[in-house]
Formats: sequence, C-alpha cells, structure tokens
Amino acid sequence: MESVFGLVGKDFAIVAADTSAVHSILVHKTNEDKIMILDSHKLMGASGETGDRAQFTEYIQKNVALYQFRNGIPLTTAAAANFTRGELATALRKNPYMVNIILAGYDKETGPSLYFIDYIASLHKLDKAAFGYGSYFALSMMDRHYRQDMTVEEAIELVDKCIIEIRSRLVVAPPNFLIKIVDKDGAREYAWRESIKDAPVSAA
Amino acid sequence: MDTVLNYTLITDTMMKIDFGGLDPSAPIKRNTDDWRDEILAAPSFALPTTADFDGFQKAAVQMVKPAKGTTTLAFIFKEGVMVAADSRASMGGYISSQSVKKIIEINPYMLGTMAGGAADCQFWHRNLGIKCRLHELANKRRISVAGASKLLANILYSYRGMGLSVGTMIAGWDEQGPGLYYVDSEGGRLKGTRFSVGSGSPYAYGVLDSGYRFDMSVEEAAELARRAIYHATFRDGASGGVASVYHVGPVGWKKLSGDDVGELHYKYYPVEPNVVEQEMAEVPIA
Amino acid sequence: MSRRYDSRTTIFSPEGRLYQVEYAMEAIGNAGSAIGILSTNGVVLVGEKKVTSKLLQTSASTEKMYKIDDHVACAVAGIMSDANILINTARVQAQRYTYAYQEPMPVEQLVQSLCDTKQGYTQFGGLRPFGVSFLFAGWDKNYGFQLYMSDPSGNYSGWKAAAIGANNQAAQSMLKQDYKDDITRDEAVDLALKVLSKTMDSTSLTSEKLELAEVFVSNGKVKYQVCSPETLSKLLLKSGVTQPAAETS
Repeated sequence: MESVFGLVGKDFAIVAADTSAVHSILVHKTNEDKIMILDSHKLMGASGETGDRAQFTEYIQKNVALYQFRNGIPLTTAAAANFTRGELATALRKNPYMVNIILAGYDKETGPSLYFIDYIASLHKLDKAAFGYGSYFALSMMDRHYRQDMTVEEAIELVDKCIIEIRSRLVVAPPNFLIKIVDKDGAREYAWRESIKDAPVSAA
Repeated sequence: MDTVLNYTLITDTMMKIDFGGLDPSAPIKRNTDDWRDEILAAPSFALPTTADFDGFQKAAVQMVKPAKGTTTLAFIFKEGVMVAADSRASMGGYISSQSVKKIIEINPYMLGTMAGGAADCQFWHRNLGIKCRLHELANKRRISVAGASKLLANILYSYRGMGLSVGTMIAGWDEQGPGLYYVDSEGGRLKGTRFSVGSGSPYAYGVLDSGYRFDMSVEEAAELARRAIYHATFRDGASGGVASVYHVGPVGWKKLSGDDVGELHYKYYPVEPNVVEQEMAEVPIA
Repeated sequence: MSRRYDSRTTIFSPEGRLYQVEYAMEAIGNAGSAIGILSTNGVVLVGEKKVTSKLLQTSASTEKMYKIDDHVACAVAGIMSDANILINTARVQAQRYTYAYQEPMPVEQLVQSLCDTKQGYTQFGGLRPFGVSFLFAGWDKNYGFQLYMSDPSGNYSGWKAAAIGANNQAAQSMLKQDYKDDITRDEAVDLALKVLSKTMDSTSLTSEKLELAEVFVSNGKVKYQVCSPETLSKLLLKSGVTQPAAETS
C-alpha cells in the first residue's frame, strides 16, 4: 500500500514514493508519479485518494505558479507549506481533501527544508517524514540511521534501506518506487527502484 | 470585510459543480393533484408512498445502477488501441439485459467503456461527446485523448461524493498517436497502456497480462481481447452476453466482432464426440 | 456644457484625460508635503504638518506617518479621511498575507494591492477617486530597503528619494541635486529636513510642524521609529535649519 517519505540532508532534500495505482485488490498501474514538481525548487509528495491527490496537488502547483507570475518572486518553501496548509484547512469543514503531503524545497536563504502536512491540515517542519503503510517501516529506519549532515549518497542508501524494508516486511508492498531530489540546482527526478516493469509507454 | 480572511488566488472553479451537461429546458413534472399549490410551490416531485424511505431510496439507487457487474478492457499495442467488453446488465442476481452496448462511441476517433452506473456512464459520455465536438469547432482540431479524459475526470470530480458511479476507459487516436486513460467517479485518472475495469477485470487481467505483446497484429490483439472477455464471462457471473471488440487506429475506430460468449465457449472448447461415458462395469473379484 | 467630462470618473475626455483623477492630484498639491529618502541603512520619511490653529489639540500620535506592518510604514499627503480608509485596507492586506503564508508581505506587493484599490475608484462608476498620495518605506528579504510613491490614479513607482504634496516639484528637483547613492540614514535625515525647510511656506521650521519617521534594521529586526519632538528640535538645530530661540542668544 501507499508509502511516501522524505528527508533533509546536508544541502538537499529527498522525497520518495511508491508508484502504484491501486483499486481494492487490483493494481491498475505501477508507474504512477506521485511526486509533483511544484516549481523549480519544490517537490510535493502526496498520498491519499487518487482523485483528491491529483486535483489538490495540481491546484497548489497552479497557485504557486500564479504567485510567481503576479509578483515576480517565488514563494519560499515555508510560505508554500503554510499556503497549502491553509487550503487544506479551509476545505476541511466543507469538502475535505483526503491527501497527506510531504513538501520539500530549497531556498537560497534557508537551504533545504521539509514540511509534513496531513489531511486534517496540521503542519510540521521536520528532518524526516513518512505517510501511508510504508511509514511504519520507513520512520523507524530513518530514526535509526538518519544524520543531519548526510551526503546525497548516504541519504539515497538510507532511502534504499527503507524501500527494501517495506518490500520485505509489508504484506501489500508496492513493487516500484520513485525518488526525487531538490537542491541548489533545482528539483528533479533522481532514480526509479523497479522490481516489475509496466509495459513500455512508447506512443502512449 | 476587515476581518482577517483566508483567501485563495485562483477561485476554485474546479470545485464548482458543472451543470453544463444538464438540460435546463427539461420540464419538471409535478403531482397533478397539488393544484392548490400550483402557483406558489417551488418545482417538486412526489414522494413515494413508503414507510421505509431510506430503504426505498437504497433500492432505487440499486435499480439505476444495473451495469455494475461488467468486464471491459482496453490496451495499446503496435497498431493502435484494442477495446473490448461484454454485454450483460444485471440487477443483483437478475440478468436484466444480454445486449448492452458497453463500448460507447464518443466520436469517430474516440471510444469510452462503461462500468458502474449505466445511466451515469451513458449520460456523461454523451456530454463528453458534445464537449469534444465543441472543442473541435472552436479550435479547428480534434481534442487529444489526454484532454478529453481530463474534461471527464474534472466533471466527475466535481460530483464526487454525490453518488455517481463510473469506471471508464477513454481510448482513442490523436496527434500523439494512440491514447488510453482510465477515469473513475472518485476523480481518479490514470494514463496507461493496459487496463481492465469491472467485476470481471481480475479474470480478464490474467489472460491479458499473460498474452500481451506490444508488437501484436490487429488480428492477434483482437483475439487476445476477445479471449480475455470470454474467460472473464466464464468465471464472473455478472458478466456475459456478447464479447464486442473494437479497434482504434489512425483512421478512427472500427468494430471488429461481436460474438456470443456461449458460442465462443464451444469454439474454444468443442464438444468431443468420441468421448463416451464409461458405463459402470462389474469389477471382477480378485 | 463645459462640465461634460469631469463630472464622472469613468469617462475619458476627448483628449484622453480623466479629469476627476487630475483634480484629485490637484487636491494633494495643496496638502502638507512629505519627503522620503532611501539610504544605505534605512528609509527616512519627513512630513509637514499643517497647523491650522493654535487652539487645535494635536494628537499625541502621528498624523502623517502610519505603520502598516512591522516592516512597512507610510507617509500621507492629501485628504486624511480618504487616507484612513486606504491605510486600513493596507493593514488588513498585510495581515491576510501573514495569515496565509506565515511570513511578512513583500513591500511591493503591499503597495500594489493598495494601488489596485485606488485604480478601481478611477474606473468603476459613480465614485470619486481617493485624494491621497503615499510614500511607502519598508524592508523585505527579497529587495531590502525600498521606497515607493503612489498617486490617486493608482500608479506607483520605486524611488531613491521622492516628494509628495505641496511644492513637490521643487522638492523633487532639490533631492535630485543633492542625493548621493551612498547616503547614510543620518545624512538622509539632514537632507530631508533641509529640502523641506526650503520648500515649506513657513519661514522657520519647528518640531510641532514636522514629523520624522525612520525604517531601519537593528539586531536583525526591522524597526519603525518616530522621532520625538525633543529629538526633532535638536536635529533641526544641528542641521542649521532653525536658529536657536531669540531669548537664549
């Protein structure tokens, strides 16, 4: 089942997520990207109901872009996190979005940062965070092996440890994972960890 | 005005319900014996005479959702997209129809499949057909499959939690080549190369996954699709009737076949005439 | 017939002018002036109070300088009752921003949002434009110290030194002459007082006719400080704008 987690390293932040689209007992797809690139230096990993996840992250992405167009300056990661929290909070008592979010970003002044936002709109600034069934494994792994001054290689090694633990201990473990990174050079895809391959999406 | 308010930048148009598909000129029927309130009353409809209104409502909802037991599938391969479905409609244990068109022809280049509520699927696919045509007229080019599926997903998302039941695949051919999306009433929209939807889908997936190759010919792909539907109808009681197979290629869609699954069964597994049931024979006592 | 294009704000004259907006600017030309100077380590705002009567109880708080948020302040020239409305909306906007993003509103965005309000009154029917010009002084993490000037049309622009109100053109040209790019805050105060003393109608400057406010950073925090009349008197003496009182000499 769903696993989204992330951590802050020395001068970067990483978000990893499973890539399964599941409906009851059926796996519809194993190459679904659940980590949205919000803007040049922000990543938004999301778990929750499929529809809400897609709609909400896109809504936030477009609003962050609108801010940048209007004001000529990007939102800081902290501001984007607080904005996201605010949107979840206003929706909460009307038509709540069932989405949990890990927001990672890199700012010139403050460096890398990571925010944990759950569907009931609580916001925490953390070094490491996880959502979904995978969180039970990823959290303890990160508690045990995490250091604040980790290099990219060390952090990826830890992420891989988490993925292996989820794959081997979680009954309904997802087969594939996607890792994205954000640092001073921007937000980008880092690697896939695949144990099954979906049919090649050639023309599709 | 002076209170500190949380305000959004983009007004949330997506969250507004899109009534665009509903016909505003449709007359509203009223109880004819309510003539006294005729002038003052707001448009209304009569309540059913029942003691258990909730139960009635539940049953009514079940009545309008006959296409829940279904097998539909679609996949992309070398020559385009293959789309197939069964044709059974059931209401609980009762088979209400054996000849339902579950593959909906949105336009000459795009098909939709039907699983979930038949009315919901038919209505919103027709609505999508209108929107696609309008897009074509306004932009002088056909809408992409990605665009059309997103249009539908956004509408369904705007009605989320209000009881719509739709599980559909939008398959077509656009400027990018073949396109396939899965869209459901929970707002989910997935891009992919191979999908199956409905109660028979696990069975169909089994056949589909083991037989799938990207470089199949149209004939091979059609046979795989047909076979997958047949096997699903064999195991899933809610699926049956006719296995229809459509192909979407660069020149649009074409219906390839529609075979009664009963006949398919005897085609795939012919009755062998020489198998004679062994009579019970005396066992010689040793 | 001559009042065809100036009785409504929403109508252009055949020459393409909006008379009501121009009249509003005219109204500001008669108001007490204000000068703002951007320096290397802060922004200085000086304003001229029009003391109409000796009997008038001047309020303890400032009447030309307003704090909008912890990091932004403004000086006003024009109709005060109009200004109060706009200052209030600016304060609300600034708080809304911090509510949404948990960080101070960038100065230019604050100015822009206020000018959007002003613009609306030059276009939408039946309303009169705000008869106010502002000087905004502020600091944010993106662009540091900033000075903006806005007028009743809703136009705004960033300045190194700017003047609004009576004799603003004379003041502006004097500022242009004497402004240096590496001016310090103390020098800026001095310059502002000098320019104001020359452009004001009254012969001698006294602390009760003036207001001085500064925005600067101390201990890593943005501070807004209004000069007390006592310190202002001393500053006036020091800069040689006023002579010591006659009886002491």
